[in-house]
Amino acid sequence: MHPIRGKAAIVGIGEVPTGHYPERSFIDAAVRVGTMAIRDAGIPKEDIDTIIPIGAVANPLDNANLVCSCLVEEMGLGKTAKSNFQVMSGGSSSANSLKTAVALVNSGLSKAVLVLHCDRLGTGIDFEAAITTFSKSSISQEYESPYGFSQLALAGLLQQRYMHDTGTTERQVAAVVESLRKWAGLNPNAMLRKPRTADEVLDSKVISSPVRKRMMNILADGAAAFIVTSAERAGDLTDTPAYVLGMGSRCTNFTCTAQPQDLFKAWGPACMEAYDMAEIKPTDVRVAEIYDAFPTFILISMELLGLCPRGTAGQIVEAGHTSPGGKLPVSTNGAMMAQGHTGAGGGMAILVEAARQVMGKAGDRQVKNTDIVVETASGGVGMDFHVGVLGREV
Amino acid sequence: MAEYKKPLPLITSLSKVFYDGCKENKLLYQQCKDCGEVIFFPKIVCPGCMGENLEWKESAGKGKIFSFTVAYDYAPPEFAGDTPYALAVVNLDEGFSLLTNIVNCDFEKISCDMPVEVMFDPVTPEISLPKFRPVAGV
Repeated sequence: MHPIRGKAAIVGIGEVPTGHYPERSFIDAAVRVGTMAIRDAGIPKEDIDTIIPIGAVANPLDNANLVCSCLVEEMGLGKTAKSNFQVMSGGSSSANSLKTAVALVNSGLSKAVLVLHCDRLGTGIDFEAAITTFSKSSISQEYESPYGFSQLALAGLLQQRYMHDTGTTERQVAAVVESLRKWAGLNPNAMLRKPRTADEVLDSKVISSPVRKRMMNILADGAAAFIVTSAERAGDLTDTPAYVLGMGSRCTNFTCTAQPQDLFKAWGPACMEAYDMAEIKPTDVRVAEIYDAFPTFILISMELLGLCPRGTAGQIVEAGHTSPGGKLPVSTNGAMMAQGHTGAGGGMAILVEAARQVMGKAGDRQVKNTDIVVETASGGVGMDFHVGVLGREV
Repeated sequence: MAEYKKPLPLITSLSKVFYDGCKENKLLYQQCKDCGEVIFFPKIVCPGCMGENLEWKESAGKGKIFSFTVAYDYAPPEFAGDTPYALAVVNLDEGFSLLTNIVNCDFEKISCDMPVEVMFDPVTPEISLPKFRPVAGV
């Protein structure tokens, strides 16, 4: 057995609604999700000895304050905290901070770790600045930016080749949005809760072919947090810890041009690693909380995770199997497409949702028998792929 | 000639060699003399063996489109007036890939795996950008 399989658990989670909240200050949302997670865990705040704030991108000053321990002061953790430091890898920050927290707790260097994300991409940054941000980061200034590339173009490139390779139809890609909106309708923290059919998605105009307007995510304000402690302590704190059973990852590239063209070869091992560590098979997965940013990435990830044969994810989504009541629930918070894109927080929302489903705290969208939930994350322009397996029992 | 307002490539000691080549209508890439690795974007050390014995080679400029997208809206601000324009990742026959624009063609007819060849667009007196067009007659 892997030496750290099931040795740590997520014992508390916190989240505020994702959306456009101009009146909600950065620090207000951050402190709220932090205290929510601590209360949810039922842990004395004095036990939190490590604070890991994930990077905020809308306002560099907010991020500088996170790095310089503003949360320690605001939440009154200063008498017992030992470390405050940032983990930042864009969308995969959730996975890398979970990995860090599990290692700290398991080594005995930390008793309990608070991981927290807060950002204001909806109202704390202007629209032009946001387009500029996403057309310049993770893009080679020497060889890519002269051509008018952006992260939206990346979605176009990915979807085009995926459809070419698999015969997946545009309607099947659009059906991912329909499925996510159905879940978001059950999620009070989601931004886009109105139903949206695949046909309505296909009615919207092409933005970066074959990506249409309603296949794009919307930038939003949001915040989420979770607490990791040892399995031993977790059992004393709560009846429903989300044990960290497996983790696997691969980090392959910086630019989109250098992204491996065979993602199965490059990122498949991340899934195998996580499943092997967790001692599970793809058929054991009850819920898949898959990181998106764009719908095609959900289809590719379903296949990478071995949840369906290659090239068939679109059919499964179109048949309704990933929607509420379906046999393979996928991204039950609505993912970034429907909950909202909060910068590095997309992965946080997915990871917190995975823990929520395992803990049985997902309200109207709670899936039954969530013994095994898998979650994914990816940063940059698809620079890495992370898989986590959470479970009810060790 | 109107002033060119779009982003120009960042010129470093490494990218200067590449863009000096472009100015002479040559598409350059690197190869490691120790392990044979084909290298692009240009690197300081070989990503295969970390060796520093790299040489520049000239590509024949022919390859195939791996994937492409046509930008109609939400382009980076400097490109907003250029829409629609086509972006593609092209796999060169020598075994490397680059991001580029597909030009001189009907965007409706672009497809994955379509054969393309390089042409150089002199956007300023100093900088020529390698762009690609469909191979004639294919």
